Amino acid sequence: MTALPKRLLIANRGEIAVRIARTAREMGIEPVAVFAEADAGAFHARKIGRAVSLGPGSPAETYLSIPRILEAARQAGADAVHPGYGFLSESPEFARAVEDEGLLWIGPPASAIEQMGDKLGARQRARHAGVPVVPGSDGSESSDDELLRKAVEIGFPVLVKPSAGGGGKGMMLVEEAKRLPEALEEARRVAKAAFGDSRLYLEKLLERPRHVEFQVFGDRRGNVVHLGERECSVQRRHQKILEETPSPALDARLRSAMGRAAVEVARGIGYVGAGTVEFLLDERKNFYFLEMNTRLQVEHPITEETLGLDLVLAQLEIAAGAPLPSAWRAGKIAPRGHAIELRLYAEDPRTFLPRSGRVLAWEPPAGPGVRVDAGVEEGSPVGLDYDPLLAKLILSAANRESAVARARRAIEDWVVLGIETNLALLLAVLASKDFVSGRYTTDLVSRLPPLEDGPVADAAWIAAAVELSSPRNGSAAVARSEPWDAGTAWRVGA
Amino acid sequence: MKLSCGKDTLEVSIQGEAALLAGRRVPFRASRTGERLEAIRIGERDFLLRTARDGERVFIWCDGRVLEFRRAGGRAARKGEGALGLAAPMPGRVRRILSAPGDRVSQGDVVLILEAMKMEHAIRAPRDGTVAAVFHREGDLVEAGVALAEMRE
Repeated sequence: MTALPKRLLIANRGEIAVRIARTAREMGIEPVAVFAEADAGAFHARKIGRAVSLGPGSPAETYLSIPRILEAARQAGADAVHPGYGFLSESPEFARAVEDEGLLWIGPPASAIEQMGDKLGARQRARHAGVPVVPGSDGSESSDDELLRKAVEIGFPVLVKPSAGGGGKGMMLVEEAKRLPEALEEARRVAKAAFGDSRLYLEKLLERPRHVEFQVFGDRRGNVVHLGERECSVQRRHQKILEETPSPALDARLRSAMGRAAVEVARGIGYVGAGTVEFLLDERKNFYFLEMNTRLQVEHPITEETLGLDLVLAQLEIAAGAPLPSAWRAGKIAPRGHAIELRLYAEDPRTFLPRSGRVLAWEPPAGPGVRVDAGVEEGSPVGLDYDPLLAKLILSAANRESAVARARRAIEDWVVLGIETNLALLLAVLASKDFVSGRYTTDLVSRLPPLEDGPVADAAWIAAAVELSSPRNGSAAVARSEPWDAGTAWRVGA
Repeated sequence: MKLSCGKDTLEVSIQGEAALLAGRRVPFRASRTGERLEAIRIGERDFLLRTARDGERVFIWCDGRVLEFRRAGGRAARKGEGALGLAAPMPGRVRRILSAPGDRVSQGDVVLILEAMKMEHAIRAPRDGTVAAVFHREGDLVEAGVALAEMRE
């Protein structure tokens, strides 16, 4: 086993950068942050002790620039790089470049990233591993005619997906056969522009599926285990906003079968490190491989809370050559209680359009079983250049009902002022009958009744008027009363 | 003063230890810690608060709810208000300004281009008229509802 790194460059921003830095410090590893010049005021750049500028420019020229990140690593004398999620975390070029630079890459082998990054290829690999996949094309179709035949075979509506995509990016819904040719043409154009690769594949649109994913972990000796599932069906715009574990949809038998399938997929590509295998569950509880994410996921904390683990710590140890903990390999870990994660986004809770502004007040909730992974603090600017995730709220409790009650209480306690957020939407989800019953699918958010504003309390109108009547605030100078300000006479010693 | 909160507006005035809410008198006490307004007491009940002011807007967390108030009327017109105001339909960046004050434009002419959600949105003249004012410069970030330009018939 090689030694743990001494200085870890975190090639990311926001909450995940702060979160990775915490574990690094607990392990005696010095974290190094990077920031685009325009992002110098961001929380992660201020909070992580050592921070290196990536220079001016857009995200593409900074957080997504392999040369600039490597230069920052050189400047800081880092000996390891953690890519977080998003950005370059699933770039095989980045993984290779980091290793070519002689730095320890905290992630899976570049070949594994590449294999799973090709979504069509990933489906084929899953099939070879004996894992059912969402009915769809298999890559043998070489003409639009063949794709059309396949689409008719699997049945409309179908989804046209870019092979180089993922996470629902660039996908198009086609309801009927006559629309397929133009959809294929459009999808190829979009895929080429967005990913530089116009290859497509088809998938049957499953009616009202549930999205259930499994955390997998592999070590350099070929051991692969799964660490249970996460239910991620609460989504808006194909993006998750709430995740929970255990999944209310799974019983022991299904969990065991899906877990085995996830391990088989990961083992088949020689996976090392943290990864997530995503499945769709149909109404009859059949499960189908969707895709694999070769990185740490946003929602990893709910797995951590129910298993009492630190997945970033595990990533660092495994990257340094440690084997998977024996308790994991012996299948001796079992989740305790229930955990829910809620994602706080800077956006209009109805239209989901992102909002920009500044966080004027920030008081996250607290208490037993309340964890907040924040990417902002009071005063943080929030722009439109990055994903609008402000923070994650993770609740854990003895059971699902308690976790839901804790989530509601925590959201009511959360003070975020200065920027509009989706707190009202999160509360609406927690209050919905479908969510509370545990019987919900990916159409939950779209089926919620329109968010209603209750009447504004008198106290709030009064407070607003009081604040707006005071003179424009400059610095908050507290008025101290000095004896000579009083209108009456006073005497020393009197 | 006239305040708006979401779709609601109300005439509110503070007179010593009572407020007039559209003519209805509500006695209250304000609790502060230093400069910070922390609670409003009405009758027997304390409403816990947090406030943050940003110019003519104030954000209030009250009793588990987060609200945004502004003085009603004024330049930052909500979308749809103001006969010939052109407002930003979504937050974005002013990419290009294609008209200047004094220009005569026809209905449908592109007055400026807003970049948002990685796409360009043409902001067009709602009817024939003259551009009276453009409130931003190229490169400015704007929020949804903010007035971008004003026209005269």
